[in-house]
Amino acid sequence: MTALEDPVRTAREAIRYCYEQGWTDGLPVVPATREDLDAFLATTDRDPDEVIGAQEHLNRRVTVRQAAVNAIMAGCEPEYFPVVLAAWDALNGEPATNGGAWQSTSGPAPLLVANGPMRQRLGINCAGGVFGPGFRANATIARAIGLIVRNGYGIKPQQLEQATQGVPGRWQLLVGENEELSPWEPLSVVGGLELGVDAVSAMLIRCCEYVDNRHTESAEAVLQDLADSLARIGAYLGIRHSSGGLVLGPEHAHVLADAGYSRADVQQWLFEHATHSHEELAAAGKVGPGGPAEGDAAFPMMPSAAEIPVLVAGAANAAISMVFRPFGWASWSGRSVPVRWSADARPTTVQEVSP
Amino acid sequence: MFDSIIDPTVGAPGNDRGRTALAGRPAQLNGLRLGLLVNTKRNAADFLEEVAAALESEYGVTTVLTRTKPSIVHPAPPEMLEEFRGETDVVVVGVGDCGSCSASAVADGLQLEAAGIPAAVICSDAFRVSADAMANLQGTPGYEYVTTAHPVASLSREGVRERAVAALPEIVGMLTRPAAAVAS
Repeated sequence: MTALEDPVRTAREAIRYCYEQGWTDGLPVVPATREDLDAFLATTDRDPDEVIGAQEHLNRRVTVRQAAVNAIMAGCEPEYFPVVLAAWDALNGEPATNGGAWQSTSGPAPLLVANGPMRQRLGINCAGGVFGPGFRANATIARAIGLIVRNGYGIKPQQLEQATQGVPGRWQLLVGENEELSPWEPLSVVGGLELGVDAVSAMLIRCCEYVDNRHTESAEAVLQDLADSLARIGAYLGIRHSSGGLVLGPEHAHVLADAGYSRADVQQWLFEHATHSHEELAAAGKVGPGGPAEGDAAFPMMPSAAEIPVLVAGAANAAISMVFRPFGWASWSGRSVPVRWSADARPTTVQEVSP
Repeated sequence: MFDSIIDPTVGAPGNDRGRTALAGRPAQLNGLRLGLLVNTKRNAADFLEEVAAALESEYGVTTVLTRTKPSIVHPAPPEMLEEFRGETDVVVVGVGDCGSCSASAVADGLQLEAAGIPAAVICSDAFRVSADAMANLQGTPGYEYVTTAHPVASLSREGVRERAVAALPEIVGMLTRPAAAVAS
């Protein structure tokens, strides 16, 4: 049978064709056709020709249409597309994104956070295994961002992108916040939106590191453990502070909330306790302008309490949390972006939260 | 066979960028006004200061203008370019020693050339690929720049001085030899 006669073989050849054009991130892509594109563009009221991102120094401008093509290729369903657009807008609203992030030796990864009822409608995982893989919406929406950067901006590894090592999870990190098990208001409300509004918040991060602390009922012990990871010297860039944030597992969040800690209290405690002495920083060769004075015993490693983003995600089955590290000297801007569907496309069917 | 697959690299059209015509070069540097365009990379300012000191003592230039770019990623803004155009005869740019700033330094060199100012751009050798990619994007493949070994950020002042002195002949050559040779 020739390729024309065998649809499976044709599909494989089409995927191979996309590889040969240099359009993929290393994994197979879904070849985008006119029909798919129309279905994606129908989910939003935005003009297909609207420019939604530009790298003027590279002479590249990304349109809504082009974002849709890359979302198709990433494996998205049409109704995910407004989430991709919101994620893209949220990223572009972060000062860190516009500081050379996509070309940086740091190779930062977008951390996208989904809030609102779309989590259930679209099957965006916010519970067990929230960092993935295994969930189509999480995996493909995050991947779409990477393909837009690659194909839209023309920024490819070892060329205009100069990541030294890169970051595990790059183009893979969309987490739903577990609003149902969080003791605090959703991150999107911190980000300025009404409760119940579908939203994406975005940051650029350089790592995630687990904090496993299952054997204490003391909120302060848990906080001390988190503060230790936040204060890690390797993440301190010198000159100014780098920041840090938390994806708390529901159990840790409840230990803290039950002891009376609000989100702001947690941030304040961590700011005060995530410190190192001049001596410790000097031993690692990390003293200089903006750093601690000689003899300073408790130099804060976080820039401020407010710049320690805190959200809640994962399953309530073990007292495990994740510390993440924003790229550069930035933290979260504190602005969440609402997701907007066209009137016809607003999804109503509830989809299973499964692959 | 796969003509129906949409090309994901096609977005809004970019500006048409033809090849940048490089500025005419002076025969020698003696008596000329030197400008320094510093990015914010660690040791960049020190490196250019050392270059300037050597150019002053050995080649008779006067350093009249030093400007630090507001963004390490983006080329220098128009008002800064205007200052260089008004006050300097030749400019040294650097040091491109990171993913985006090496490319950006090349873009700076080209916009200075387009403004009629001979420029010498310094990048570290680890970032040749992105510097060359930027020259291509700017429509001027083959644009030459001076390289120094990576890393630069970890050098002591003494180490920076040695590097600057080592790079000096190439910098002088780039600022004085015929423009055609600079973009070979």
